[in-house]
Amino acid sequence: MTTEVKQDMDFSVLLVDDDERIRQALGLALADEGFTVDEAVSGEDALDRLDEDSFDVVLLDLMLPGVDGLQVCRTLRAQGDLPIIIVTARTDTPDVIAGLEAGADDYVTKPLVASELAARIRALLRRRGGPRQNISYRVEDLEIWPDEGVVHRGGEEIRLTRTEFRLLAELAAAGGRIVTREQLLQRVWGYDYYGDTRLLDVHVRRLRTKVEHNPEDPVFVLTVRGAGYKIGPPR
Amino acid sequence: MRRPLRRPSLRWRVAAALGLGSLLVTSLLAVATWNLASDYMLRQREQSVTRQAQVNLRLVEDAVSKGSEGLTELLTGLTTSPDSTIMLFRRDDVLTSGRQVDPGAVPPALLAMARDGTPARQRLHADGIPVVAVVQPLSAGQGIYVELFQLSQLDRTFRFISGLLVAGTVLSGLIGVALGSWASRRALRPLTELTVAASRIAGGDLKARLPDQDDPDLAPLASTFNSTADALQQRVLRDARFAGDVSHELRSPLTTMVNAAAVLRRRQAELPGTTGKALGLLTSEVDRFARMVVDLMEISRADQDVDRDEFEPLDVGGLVRGAAPLLLPPDVEIVVEPPPPLVLGDRRRLDRVIANLIENAGRHAGGAVRIAVLHRDGKVRLEVDDAGPGVPEEMREQVFERFTRGTRAGSRGTDTGSGLGLALVAEHVRRHHGHVWIEDRPGGGARFVVELPEVGR
Repeated sequence: MTTEVKQDMDFSVLLVDDDERIRQALGLALADEGFTVDEAVSGEDALDRLDEDSFDVVLLDLMLPGVDGLQVCRTLRAQGDLPIIIVTARTDTPDVIAGLEAGADDYVTKPLVASELAARIRALLRRRGGPRQNISYRVEDLEIWPDEGVVHRGGEEIRLTRTEFRLLAELAAAGGRIVTREQLLQRVWGYDYYGDTRLLDVHVRRLRTKVEHNPEDPVFVLTVRGAGYKIGPPR
Repeated sequence: MRRPLRRPSLRWRVAAALGLGSLLVTSLLAVATWNLASDYMLRQREQSVTRQAQVNLRLVEDAVSKGSEGLTELLTGLTTSPDSTIMLFRRDDVLTSGRQVDPGAVPPALLAMARDGTPARQRLHADGIPVVAVVQPLSAGQGIYVELFQLSQLDRTFRFISGLLVAGTVLSGLIGVALGSWASRRALRPLTELTVAASRIAGGDLKARLPDQDDPDLAPLASTFNSTADALQQRVLRDARFAGDVSHELRSPLTTMVNAAAVLRRRQAELPGTTGKALGLLTSEVDRFARMVVDLMEISRADQDVDRDEFEPLDVGGLVRGAAPLLLPPDVEIVVEPPPPLVLGDRRRLDRVIANLIENAGRHAGGAVRIAVLHRDGKVRLEVDDAGPGVPEEMREQVFERFTRGTRAGSRGTDTGSGLGLALVAEHVRRHHGHVWIEDRPGGGARFVVELPEVGR
């Protein structure tokens, strides 16, 4: 437990919210959970801060004055695979989907509790435990090296975000067996309960657009209706 | 205030009225036609037979006045047609020629009139055949001349005409009914469309509208309906937006409160006595308040959204097995009947149903003791059993209403929950076309039962 807290201290969080009281309260509570918290009050401010410093994760409110959360999310995603957790006041499907489509790795809804948020951040930043196994998976022309976090298709590297990669690696590790939605939500996002399958659906869709030759007719990431997903090729 | 006898539908009333009207008119026409035609034809026939009889009478009178030789031949000659009968009543005998008819068939009153010197005519049945009898006295009281002309031909014609008229009348009545039914259905079609559109709106499809009508009688109905539907849709959208705004406005201060409370709770040990106790009260009530607001938002959202497009096949057994390790001690019995019980549903909502039932058992009955997912006649049945005091009969409906607080013995007292847990269960189950109710658990305690329609693979 002490080692985990020590490890968390290394994590720096950029908290982007226009409500000062939320920033203060959440900042205090996250600090209690062991994170280093920096604050930004607007989209522009957030982008400036991210240029100056590097952070482990961004907590992004969607409703921001000026450059809104979705725009910030897209900009960050275009620059790299910095983990983004969206903080939203609306749980309505279109908002959540829009945030995830914009490239967010996960989302939490207000009123969020710092302990819950800390669990999400830890899951997102969790490094693969255990010794390096130096294994790789191969599906047709797709090669996955979990230890290096690298995916090749036809010899060329495909750039995936950390979450997309973990999703693909979980499916590959199952070696063609079905992985249920619950298992994926638990292993990739650390949801032990109440996982939102929309989260999974959007990430699967994004993963397909990157790894599949034809995302409309997937051969690597296959849906098993009513059960979950499995890695191809189809049998 | 229901009438004991159901009135037939408007459509059938219109059809019946039109049918009756047409029947009345045609039957009047038919009766008039019948009277005029039959009267005319009968009179024609009577006049012609009377003329014929007068000619014949003169010949017979001649023969009688010349003496009786040749009279029989003459009578035979006169009845050339086989369907007439001539009778000559004399003082002491009756001469008959032609078709043989009993002389008694001629009414005595008729003969009496002729005997007094008055020719007479009458329709009658002789041996079951319709005839017209012409009775004339022979000059100088030498007897009575009777000639019976058959009316069979005319009778057949009459029967044909009357059949035709009756058939025509009935047919026109039927046509009237058919026409009325068709016309009223056509006239009521906009009403049918209105019913369809109104029931779509009642079913939650606020986009349902009536097509524009060209007919000046119907245009106001369509436009009134459509503008009402527009207003309703806008109202619903406005309400939904308002709920969304309220939810957003409440969520922000709540976020601040729950996190500040978390920071305080961590330091509660540092605050002694009264301050610490007050802080404990404050932080636990903030948490409960947050839970209540979240549940309230969820239930008001459940009231609004109607999209079932996002429903997916879900394995209820899998949902229970996923929830159990987190919400239940490991010794709780979990039964899932194979094959995997699938329902069409929304995962988050069904997760909520399961979690809320388990939490409810924990809060009021010392915890769930058995969870079962079974197949029952095309339904998936979820049972959550507890070994608590049970739920009294009169409370079994009430506990699913909003803000009904459990007064059951064994409740923890301080942690009363949001008061919305079971209401959310009922709401979500209803959304899934299912039912939820409470039974007695065999061996004591309560059994919460949820039944949802099962889907095939």
